[in-house]
Amino acid sequence: MFEATELNFRDNRVEWAVKALFLLMTLLLILPVLLILGVLLYRGGPVLSWEFLFTQPTNGMTAGGVLPALVGTIWLVVVALLASVPIGVAAAIYLSEYAPQNALTRAINLAIINLAGVPSIVHALFGVGAFVYFFRFGTSILAASLTLAIMTLPVVIVSTLESLRAVPHAFREACWNMGATRWQTIWRVVLPNSISGILTGVILEVSRTAGETAPIMFTGAAMFMPLLPRSVFDQTMALSLHLYTISMNVPDVPEALPYGVALVLIGLILSMNAISIGFRTVLRSRRKW
Amino acid sequence: MNRIVGSLVVLSLAACGGEGGSRALIQNKGSDTLVNVAQGWAEEYAQVDPSIVVAVTGGGSGTGISALINGSVDIANSSREMKPGEISLARNNGVTPKQMVVGYDALAVFIHPDNPAESFTFAQLAAIYGEDGSVDSWSQLGISVPGCDSDEIVRVSRQNSSGTYVYFKEAILGERDFKLGSRDMAGSSEVVELVENTPCAIGYSGLAYATEHVKMPCLSTDDEGDCVAPSVAAAIDFSYPVARPLFMYTNGEPQGAVKKYLDWILGDEGQCLLQSKGYAPAREVACS
Repeated sequence: MFEATELNFRDNRVEWAVKALFLLMTLLLILPVLLILGVLLYRGGPVLSWEFLFTQPTNGMTAGGVLPALVGTIWLVVVALLASVPIGVAAAIYLSEYAPQNALTRAINLAIINLAGVPSIVHALFGVGAFVYFFRFGTSILAASLTLAIMTLPVVIVSTLESLRAVPHAFREACWNMGATRWQTIWRVVLPNSISGILTGVILEVSRTAGETAPIMFTGAAMFMPLLPRSVFDQTMALSLHLYTISMNVPDVPEALPYGVALVLIGLILSMNAISIGFRTVLRSRRKW
Repeated sequence: MNRIVGSLVVLSLAACGGEGGSRALIQNKGSDTLVNVAQGWAEEYAQVDPSIVVAVTGGGSGTGISALINGSVDIANSSREMKPGEISLARNNGVTPKQMVVGYDALAVFIHPDNPAESFTFAQLAAIYGEDGSVDSWSQLGISVPGCDSDEIVRVSRQNSSGTYVYFKEAILGERDFKLGSRDMAGSSEVVELVENTPCAIGYSGLAYATEHVKMPCLSTDDEGDCVAPSVAAAIDFSYPVARPLFMYTNGEPQGAVKKYLDWILGDEGQCLLQSKGYAPAREVACS
């Protein structure tokens, strides 16, 4: 006959205390998110309107909307994605599917990890030297987006690598045994099975790209530009820099305005993420294992 | 699926392109002192001539000048003259800087509205801000500030890349450096905001940034000199001791769109806009 001893009771109490403590820590994670969104909605909500999204800033940037900054951020993110996703995915496919395990591969992996650790302001200085001056792109969307692309490449590579490696090796072997080449295997089996993980990396990249200020402020973002950019060689306004300038440099900005801009920025990131998450869900539902 | 994503991207980029017709893009970068005026000019000029688009970027006078030297801007804004070293560097790059005075800036000293101080001499300011200055508390100046219990003078300054910082140092401190321990702000409006909320504080920035919540004491160069309150009029006639010209630099004689834009800036409309932002115009203008 089993009877709970004093020792069992103590174990149970410890078990309960640990669980409660860890739950508390997890809830603490949500707290900042809720507070940030709450404060932004409470203070910035009143300025939000369609007009705010679709008009130019006026009156020395103290009134009007955020259209050029919103459009500019979309340009920067899209061009950065166009540059970094093909390069990042191709590099990850090589590293995962082709690369022999040797010193060079290890060196490349180390370089990727180090690239991820470089602060964004250092990427900014690199971008100025490389893209603005050396390649003569000038301060332009192209220079800013390429800087952002280099900054986010490690995220894309690492997350793509992980999702490629998550595809069971048996899938590849089965494919090879049927006489398929490596590329056929990758295209028909590995990529379709890992696309949801790759998109997760892209989502992370979008969030980071849209929010960065330092890499774009010297390479392509303008504090003010009255019209929308037309090509990648134009300068552009961007939401993150717009938020910075109206908070720091422009006098007499109504208090709600910066909160409104921050809300638009977060809203943009969330809706871009929602699109990728939608894609991911659809693709994942097709997965057969 | 790739094709769908691709066409979406192309569509969205095309949608972002917007209105037709050719247009000239002028890149204008530099001084944070001038940036709000430059922004105002760009905003206003879009109504005057929609075929010319002006992109304005701040970052400080040094940023603008180095961009001019590297040929990546059309107009550099600066709140100081280019140094001889910078000019020869520009020449080596095939850039011939052409200087133009677009207005004047008066630096104002700000204190909390409860602070009873009415005037400062340059010597007093140097003793407060300078590296070997002896004044650290308001009582040393014979002032008792209500609400400032610690009596300590909270020195508010700018980060050292700012043209305002450099100008204040040259005008007030001369050869000396700043005393350590000042609160160095990234923007002029932040200086004013901190002083508004801190009874113990003293700060400085362009007159344009003044609000009704701060007090601007008058300044005199020495004990005998007249104490002049900062104002646009006092900056134009140079009776105010801390006023400086504001420059725009171009590569060679301005031409085409840049020339049109600069002519407009120096015209009545541009100068009146500058005056409305709290700076002194480059010449006498009658504004409504």
